[in-house]
Amino acid sequence: MPQTSHIAVEVNGVKREADVEPRLLLVHFLRENLGLTGSHIGCDTTSCGACTVLLDDKAMKSCTVLAVQADGRKVMTVEGLGGHGKLDPVQEGFVAEHGLQCGFCTPGMVISAYALLQENPDPTEDDIRTAISGNICRCTGYEKIIESVKHAAKARRRRRT
Amino acid sequence: MEVTFEGEEQDPDVRFVRGTGKYVDDIKLEGMLHLHVVRSPYARARVLSVSGGITGNELKATMESVGEDAGGKSAVSFPALSASYVNYVGQPVAAVLGLDRYDAADKAEEVDVQYEPLRPVIDPEKALASEPIHPGMENNLVAAAELGKEFEVKAPIEIEETLRMTRISPNPMETKGMVAVYDGSNLTVYASTQSPFSWREGLASSLGLKEESVRVVQMDTGGGFGSKGGIYPEYVVAAYAAMKTKRPVKWSETRYENILSTNMGRGVRGKMKVYADREGKLKGLKADILVDVGAYPLGGGGWTARWIASQLVGPYSVPRAYATAKAVLTNKVNMGPYRGAGRPEAAFFMERMMDRLADETGVDAAEVRLRNATSRRTTSPLGMEAPPSKQLFMKALRAFKYSSRKKKENVGLSFFMLIPAAYGGESAKLAVKGGRVKVWMGGSSHGQRHDVFAKSLVSEELGIPQDVIDFQHTDTRSISGGVGSWGSRTAILGGGAIVEASRSLKAAAKKKLGKKYSPARLLEGEYEAEAFFKPKDLLNTLGANMASARLTKEGNAVVDEVVSFYDAGKVLNPFMLESQITGGVAQGIGEIMYEQAIYSEDGQLLTASIADTGVIHATEMPKSVVMTAASRSTLPHGAKGVGESPTIGVPPAATRALEVLLGRRFTTLPIEPEKLWATDVAGVKEVRVR
Repeated sequence: MPQTSHIAVEVNGVKREADVEPRLLLVHFLRENLGLTGSHIGCDTTSCGACTVLLDDKAMKSCTVLAVQADGRKVMTVEGLGGHGKLDPVQEGFVAEHGLQCGFCTPGMVISAYALLQENPDPTEDDIRTAISGNICRCTGYEKIIESVKHAAKARRRRRT
Repeated sequence: MEVTFEGEEQDPDVRFVRGTGKYVDDIKLEGMLHLHVVRSPYARARVLSVSGGITGNELKATMESVGEDAGGKSAVSFPALSASYVNYVGQPVAAVLGLDRYDAADKAEEVDVQYEPLRPVIDPEKALASEPIHPGMENNLVAAAELGKEFEVKAPIEIEETLRMTRISPNPMETKGMVAVYDGSNLTVYASTQSPFSWREGLASSLGLKEESVRVVQMDTGGGFGSKGGIYPEYVVAAYAAMKTKRPVKWSETRYENILSTNMGRGVRGKMKVYADREGKLKGLKADILVDVGAYPLGGGGWTARWIASQLVGPYSVPRAYATAKAVLTNKVNMGPYRGAGRPEAAFFMERMMDRLADETGVDAAEVRLRNATSRRTTSPLGMEAPPSKQLFMKALRAFKYSSRKKKENVGLSFFMLIPAAYGGESAKLAVKGGRVKVWMGGSSHGQRHDVFAKSLVSEELGIPQDVIDFQHTDTRSISGGVGSWGSRTAILGGGAIVEASRSLKAAAKKKLGKKYSPARLLEGEYEAEAFFKPKDLLNTLGANMASARLTKEGNAVVDEVVSFYDAGKVLNPFMLESQITGGVAQGIGEIMYEQAIYSEDGQLLTASIADTGVIHATEMPKSVVMTAASRSTLPHGAKGVGESPTIGVPPAATRALEVLLGRRFTTLPIEPEKLWATDVAGVKEVRVR
């Protein structure tokens, strides 16, 4: 049997413990061990961003983080957004503006957009382009994704006031 | 053991933003094993021995059917697992099973393969003179065609040019994958696919099964762009592994594997020669097309060269044309359809020549095109039918505000014909029960949201609200036949089938209910109708693009804006159409600026990560403006194809815009960023372009 390490990670607000191999990637831990299949794997070189999650509130590509590195830390995946059957404003923005087609890059895009708006509630179009430039979408040509983020930014500001 | 879609959120957008889409790699079944494929590290080698895992000595299957190329059988047999010769880096030679992907990758260490490396054939232009890559063949030529008639003509303007479109990786964001389940007599496959029916046919024939005993279910599919229409060796191996072990088997490739082993698009050279008078009117066209089909001519290798040649004339009228077309084998992964599949090559070659013609004659680029467009339906000397084109191009120029923008900006134009893959027709099925209507299509979405137009057509035809309609995943068990989603065909053919099925369902209800018939009554009953729709009329349609280019303050030439003007017939959903086109614009821009597969002399793929392949990011996307000409087709719902239009029209228009900006002639795609740097920001015109 391969050697394992005990980890405890807070995922979407719930403490999850497991014995994992040191080589296990965080994205595989989320998908295989926890069944949180919303985070996708689109590449193996940290290039595409489909696996983006929040690690201690920072957007991070979970394919390049070991599960053991997440020990004692906080992870939020796309499944952690919204709640009580409701969509988060960022998710609502992507639905309203159809900021997706095949949906595969979407969870990563949504998380990157969410992270941007946490830091910068009123981003310019250039800010948005830069914020999602680590996420590849092959279907949309990005325009509707950018509209989705703008939509979300507006909705969030409205909710605050 | 079954994957079901019970209780699934009907709106795919909501499903996807929540992360609750069901893609192949999300499937978890009890006892499921993971398949890892061991691949050739050589572009060409003799396999001296292979041991460990499942090998080609055990599984002697060959690839029989590959979807969009169905019917294009080749003399060269493409083994699922090779035990004799390997012909591209990444070709499967063995497979192992593990409890998870890590375990399976570890098990691959137990496979031992001895190779005798051979000198590979990499350059398609040298392939004809090189030794054949397959034993028993005379040379590397796999297809040759001659179209039109050889001619001689005296013309004051004769222009020759050699143009190239480099191979590119389709790169859908979801890589290829499947889960196979075998119960002792029936094989069920959950697939990331553009065509469950091609899979069924291909897997059944490769594995010697009856089609009735193979069921293929389409999962949410994360893009395809042509690459997921047919089947691949790995699918046959994974299905075999499930049959052998009687346990569910998942195969889900990495991006590296996807780039190595997925059919690539383009890889075509066109030698073009046009003859014209001094006013820019074409008097003749000659062409020689050479297609690099890779190691096995199964992804389209049998037909692509002729197909490209046949449509070179595009929307124009030319009195004489003659084309030769050849396809050659090289030691690379197979060529296959990639969004446009031959159409972009033909348009790029012809449109580059139209721009040359403008430069040589001094006639404006729009005017040259207009002078060669026609007001009547034509059949070109190369055999392709085209609708009247002049009016549409004039409309496009007005919509582009071409005359005024040309004075202020660096603009390029393109004009092209889209030939949808209408052959074979398409199916749809409707079933009414318990107050709800279920809809299936023979080929369905891998990102196009076919559910949107499907629901709206059913609702319109039956007079029922959309919220009682449930769009189903394509499942070969639920509908009796189908083709697949590619070649700008689903809205026209699948849409037509939906209309036909709706009408026959309505007719059945009317017959049963008589005067009591009403949409509400229809919903109270139980009805089923299936239609297979085959159009009779010409569905070829036209489109035009205008692109503008500018220099950034750093001195890089970039495409600033792309305007599309396409005859999409009656637009079924303007929002989805715009979304499709803008996505295609991104692919067109990627293709002219960055995207290419680069091989070393010994056939190693040097662009083996998604970053290396050159797909564009949000920061590189120009503005996209979408406009359509509303001219109904003769189909019951009036639609025309549109999905591939941007990858056909954008490359020539955007290339021209950059050419005008920089004053440099571009003949090979991608242009590559290093050639787009302005040595003199003021602009040194190296060639005369207007």
